[in-house]
Amino acid sequence: MQLRGRKQVAAVGGAVAVALLAAACSSSSSSSSSSTPASSSSPSTSAATSGSGTIDAAGSSFQNTYQEAAISAFKSVDPSITVNYDSVGSGTGRSDLYSNTVLFAGSDSPIPSSEASKVPAGKTVLYFPVVIGPISLAYNLPNVSTLKLTPTLIAEIFQGQITSWNNSAIAAVNPGVSLPSTAITVAVRSDSSGTTQNFSLYLEKAAPSVWKLGSSSTIKWPSTAHAGAQNTGVASIIKSTPGAIGYVDYTDAIASGLKSAEVQNKAGDFVAPSPSAASLDAASATIASDLTFAAADASSAAGAYPISYQSWDLVYSTQPNANDVAMLKSYLGYLLGDGQKLLPTLYYAPLPSSLDQKAIAQLSQITSS
Amino acid sequence: MAVITTDQAAVDLREPSGWRRAKNQFATAAMWFSFLCMLVPLGFVLVTVIAKGASVISWQFLTNSTIPPNILPANVGGMGAAVVGTLEITGFAAVMAIPLGVLGAVYLNEYGGNRPLARVLSFFSDVMTGVPSIVMGLFIFTIWVLHFGYSGLAGSFALACLMLPIVIRSSYEMLRLVPNSLREGSYALGATKARVTLTVVLPAAIGGIVSGALLAVARAAGETAPLLFTILTVEATNTNLFHGANTSLSWQIWENAQQPYAGAVARGWGAALTLIAIAFILMIVARLVTARFARYSQ
Amino acid sequence: MSVTVQADPATPAGSAGLSPRRPIGDRAFQVLALASGLLVLVILVLIAITMSQQSTTWFSSAGWSGVFSIDWDPAHGKFGAMAFLYGTVIVSLIAIIVAYPVSMGVALLLTEVVPRRWSRPIVYVIDLLAVVPSVVWGLWGILILVPWLQTAIYAHVASAVNGIWILGNLFGFLNGNYVSGASFFTAGLILAIMITPIVTSLSREVMATVPTTDKEGAYALGATRWEMIRGAVWPHSQTGIVGAVLLGLGRAMGETIAVALVIGASPTISSHLFTPGYAMPAVIALQFGEATVGEFRAALIGMGVLLFLLTIIVNLSARAVIGRHARSMGGA
Repeated sequence: MQLRGRKQVAAVGGAVAVALLAAACSSSSSSSSSSTPASSSSPSTSAATSGSGTIDAAGSSFQNTYQEAAISAFKSVDPSITVNYDSVGSGTGRSDLYSNTVLFAGSDSPIPSSEASKVPAGKTVLYFPVVIGPISLAYNLPNVSTLKLTPTLIAEIFQGQITSWNNSAIAAVNPGVSLPSTAITVAVRSDSSGTTQNFSLYLEKAAPSVWKLGSSSTIKWPSTAHAGAQNTGVASIIKSTPGAIGYVDYTDAIASGLKSAEVQNKAGDFVAPSPSAASLDAASATIASDLTFAAADASSAAGAYPISYQSWDLVYSTQPNANDVAMLKSYLGYLLGDGQKLLPTLYYAPLPSSLDQKAIAQLSQITSS
Repeated sequence: MAVITTDQAAVDLREPSGWRRAKNQFATAAMWFSFLCMLVPLGFVLVTVIAKGASVISWQFLTNSTIPPNILPANVGGMGAAVVGTLEITGFAAVMAIPLGVLGAVYLNEYGGNRPLARVLSFFSDVMTGVPSIVMGLFIFTIWVLHFGYSGLAGSFALACLMLPIVIRSSYEMLRLVPNSLREGSYALGATKARVTLTVVLPAAIGGIVSGALLAVARAAGETAPLLFTILTVEATNTNLFHGANTSLSWQIWENAQQPYAGAVARGWGAALTLIAIAFILMIVARLVTARFARYSQ
Repeated sequence: MSVTVQADPATPAGSAGLSPRRPIGDRAFQVLALASGLLVLVILVLIAITMSQQSTTWFSSAGWSGVFSIDWDPAHGKFGAMAFLYGTVIVSLIAIIVAYPVSMGVALLLTEVVPRRWSRPIVYVIDLLAVVPSVVWGLWGILILVPWLQTAIYAHVASAVNGIWILGNLFGFLNGNYVSGASFFTAGLILAIMITPIVTSLSREVMATVPTTDKEGAYALGATRWEMIRGAVWPHSQTGIVGAVLLGLGRAMGETIAVALVIGASPTISSHLFTPGYAMPAVIALQFGEATVGEFRAALIGMGVLLFLLTIIVNLSARAVIGRHARSMGGA
């Protein structure tokens, strides 16, 4: 009785396991043999110009949605190259680059001075900007369809100095809008992120006299702030708390169905976040010769959205083998070229064209030693 | 024997008083209630995972080797890469940890006895069971990944480190249960210690050892933290364990739990259901092995 | 095995083992077994060395006061671990407090109440609970349990006890009507669910060693089952159960993924259990990715070292206590 039942369970369980194994092994796609950059990669036979093999990459989670879409689309562009991108975070991405475990690293900020000594001697790092994106100030006020905020107000809200929505300073920039007396609940991220880094950088630049909390991937927020992990954690706090406001990547704000505030830019306009407004903002940024820049609050153009940020792919200029050079040029070229067309559908902003051209020109600086 | 007539007024020890009986019944009810407290979350999580995962699970989901971008809906692509990754990485970890663990337990039980070295090793084996899984992952990241790159192999090392002390302890307990008379009889016939261990003791304990090992494998298959910094990720199946990044079901669930896109979350539930199914199958097999083969059990 | 020993009836038993040169195969096997055992030692030593190396920057520049300060502010170079230590301890305590009565109840159910052949389903439930992976608990926790607890339970409990002396500080609102589903208490609950199986199984083993004569004696004296449990089972099992609880505590402290997903990721020290917090393994998992190489990363690895030491102490106390119990009971 019981024994038979157990045997039946065993038979079914065994069959399922065997079936899973058989199917998975037989229908899995061809294996990708990868190369760790330290050793030479598998030589290509036909695709001599574009290289073949696997690119391992890691870094910024802001880039992740773009990388995933690009990797998927790139398979039809060049099937001989496989790309793996892990959104493990800008810090670990850069550290992986220093130790040569990845071919390129995604990073939302340039290599900080504290890390300069970790770059191996004799190696130069090339910065390839790949994507721009707005940071949304998402809020939960059911009866307020448009909310306007100035940098000073944002700094004061996030430092806990303004605590209710019907504060006179907020009302002053929102004439005609009836603001409720609800308490302001600030939603922030407590896991490290490039979003936090660049949001705080924006506040440092745009409201320097007010913002005291510094700029870093992790900020010590006031104790009244509600913290969430990842953009989704912040988004869920905002959604479930009336009167909440928080900073979220624009792509995630859209995906979570949140409303975003209009932010006053240097020209005095109140602009809502959008891919085009972010590109406009980045277009005025001062681009250094190594293509680093800070898009936050960069532009005085009307219609520019000031809380925008950028992400780079970092590569060594000299690579140990020619195949890696070819693969990098091919994939990075795609990210800078046709891949940019994917961005608006993902709610990211494409690079301003002059910046894009400079980045494509920089590709030639990747050489094999 | 004198007949004792019960005086109605005297306390009758066979029938507990109302108050004592009430306490007893309350205690029994409380015990059943605590079982209910155990049953409820289990039922809750199983029902949720099955309900949300079943709509996503399909043959394509289990075998399609392309993991789509998070933004795409759940009917595109599948978790085949993660299934293969979990099986590969956990399988190789088991291949490393189980023989080493059993041999370690053999040393502790058969050769070590009460010698100081054996007690030290037993002590450290217990210490190792307490190492948090994230620490194992960081350890392998530092000594292996930074030099040899991300790979499924690195993940296997981290999982093997996790499994080793568990296998040692459970095998040790099983070996201890084998009666000494078996060993002594073999020695009496002139066998060497190695032969006795391999041909008499291990077969006698094999049921318990195998089931303990399977439970360790089930535990390893569900681990995420050791894989966070060791295997990177892939978008398509990588059948080569030793080269190149890989992914696993547990890793995918961890990632997808934090995504705002409905498609990614749905894939997460599907992966959760698959992972639970794998763990359950291993557990059922372990129990069957115990029932069928274990001759000496506690 | 290249050596075979012929069973020679003329040779006294055991004399093969007394010959001065043991067969090579036998020696080799012993060496192999020894090496496998030593592997544990080697790995642990390596872990200790590498982790300490990677975290010296933190320990040396922060000093003891810096390491245990409550100030976690990477933007300004402050890496105090107190908030995470607090979170780990609080969440584990909640787990134990919740898991203990449940585990005791079920263990007693299995050893005293339910007849042998009906105990199988209950054991299956315990096994099933044990085999659900922690990431699945985390997924269910963050997507289902957290939103439900926040609106259906926490908000109502908090408004009920707000202002009441101790209860208000533990379960009341913090600032206005702030309760969060992702909080210390939720993490403690999920941990409780996860450690219940191991505490139950260990307690069950401990309770099974109670001599039947003691139990029968109690019954003979007319005790009800509950009185028998209190009088015969309980005193015998106490040390062993303490050991089981300590093992559960150790497991709770090291649990990473489920806690990281539901604890709310906010490094604050607060008595309010319905507000977000942080724990050591959780912060490592969540912040390692973006941590810059340097003191930030060293601080996270250093917290791994602290966590390691903490769980070692707890686990060893558990083994010591169980060992003492086993010795006093005569062992398995």
